[in-house]
Amino acid sequence: MPSDNELMAITGFRSTPAASTLVAPLVDLALLDHEVTGRLLSGPLFADLSVLGAVAAGFPSPADEELTDTMSLDAYLIANKEATYILKVTGDSMMEAGILPGDLLLVERGVTPRDGDIVIAQVDREWTMKFFRRRGSTVFLEAANKAYQPIHPQEELTIAAVVRAVIRKYV
Amino acid sequence: MSVPLTLHTFPRAILHIDGDAFFASCEQSRRPKLQGRPVVTGKERGIAASMSYEAKARGVTRGMRLADIRKRCPDAVILPSDYETYSLLSTRFFAIVRRYTPEVEEYSIDGCFADLTGLRRPLRMSYLQIAEQIKKDLDSELGFTFSVGLAPNKVVAKIASKWQKPSGLTAIPGRELHHYLARVPIENVWGIGPQTTALLHKHGVTTALQFAQKPEPWVKKYFSKPFQEIWHELNGTFVFALALGEPTPSHSIQKVKTFTPPSQDKAFVWAQLAKNVENACIRARKYQLAAQRVVIFLRTQHFRDVGHEVELSGPTHFPHDILKAVAPVFEDLFDASASYRATGVILLKLSEAFYGQLDLFGEAIRLQRLSNLYESIDTLREKYGKHTVFLGASYLAHTHAQHADERGHIPERQRELLPGETARKRLGIPMFMGDVR
Repeated sequence: MPSDNELMAITGFRSTPAASTLVAPLVDLALLDHEVTGRLLSGPLFADLSVLGAVAAGFPSPADEELTDTMSLDAYLIANKEATYILKVTGDSMMEAGILPGDLLLVERGVTPRDGDIVIAQVDREWTMKFFRRRGSTVFLEAANKAYQPIHPQEELTIAAVVRAVIRKYV
Repeated sequence: MSVPLTLHTFPRAILHIDGDAFFASCEQSRRPKLQGRPVVTGKERGIAASMSYEAKARGVTRGMRLADIRKRCPDAVILPSDYETYSLLSTRFFAIVRRYTPEVEEYSIDGCFADLTGLRRPLRMSYLQIAEQIKKDLDSELGFTFSVGLAPNKVVAKIASKWQKPSGLTAIPGRELHHYLARVPIENVWGIGPQTTALLHKHGVTTALQFAQKPEPWVKKYFSKPFQEIWHELNGTFVFALALGEPTPSHSIQKVKTFTPPSQDKAFVWAQLAKNVENACIRARKYQLAAQRVVIFLRTQHFRDVGHEVELSGPTHFPHDILKAVAPVFEDLFDASASYRATGVILLKLSEAFYGQLDLFGEAIRLQRLSNLYESIDTLREKYGKHTVFLGASYLAHTHAQHADERGHIPERQRELLPGETARKRLGIPMFMGDVR
């Protein structure tokens, strides 16, 4: 990629600040970066962009063909798109299972929970997240935090969804 | 009386599926606190847009003013509409129905028709079993209930889905049609309005069955084609085909927006109207339609509408042209002593946009320029979000919050953004609300 001086020549600007003003928005968007030498460097996005089908001449890139068998993060995390919801954790009842306040969960509605699943249940008009336990014909909810007692439902237990993935984003 | 109208059961198998109190149910299903309580949406509009069955039981009706609702039902939870979430769930609703049949008509945000004809063998189920399965998927995956009607055509399917609500599943085979129609007042039939009802009453017809039993020549003598078609459908014949594919606005495009507090400021009200015109034109351009006629209206604080219709010099979908044409009308309509709470625009006489005509006065060149301009504006909108570029005329509507009481009128989902989300772009997955402990 060109240096600021070369950029002046290309664009016809008469000063380097003018030329760098031109690329500044792209630098802000992290599409471009500066090398230590002052030359421009293409940002990470360019490397990720695949331009399948744009190469008409030469040997076909083997990379293109290999990529047809990859899946997106969406497809990896979500099995049933129509039944998947997101929610944000506020409590610490599943801390020992590695789910912390502030984590995002992908949960699936409309599935029957199995013993050991982490579920979103409805208790006293609130969402609660616990392990679903089945012992013979009885079921109960168990936290992954010793400060909480297991919940043995008096009447019907409403399980809204089963947790399928936890997302923690570090920004 | 009990002579069947037809001997067939399901010559065609048409489903009508209707979300029960759709918007209010979307809210209840994501917030356990709201379940079993009267919930009303439409806070930002000042009137009820949708109400839960608990609210309906307390006498809240669609369009009721919030002040009246608070009087009648003081414990009602009144929420601003979260159309983004409702649309996400609506899209899922249609996708789930399409698991079973490709022939789905997206009739409204909360209702659709589906054609199941011929699917018994491939799905190894009876029509009723397919309908049950679809209902089960919808109820369990979306978290609230739907009412389903199975019938030989659309008009009867509508009657069937309404038969038992909420969470009903009613099948009306042709052979039993007459038992049901005897109990349906004629004004409850889809497509029969107050005028037609009055005329039918004069002929002593009060139920759908009485209408269906009239001889065809009688129907032809008194009624136009659409009503003759309804008569055929009430007799069990399939007439109205399903409109598949993306719904396009064929008759009119309407944009109405409420703002609070009500305003007496002429420039501000004009800016609100201009923004509605821009929005209506965006929709017209999306479907490559142009309007020949425009209606503008202003709604006062006391819910009184004043409006006027304007004929345009040629079909257009550019705010430039429309605002120029309606400006003098707005001058006449605007009453400096009144306070306004909403403005609206309706584009009428829509036709396919076409700028091929040549003329002597440079009109074609002007249109080409406008067309280029709006192509660029539309490109910017697609990339950066709606109203990235807007007219100076609507500036005040864009810079002022639509509602002074900002927090109360913006849906919770849009106030509490996840890391990385912006006001313009959010994750396209509906969210469970409230604390998760």
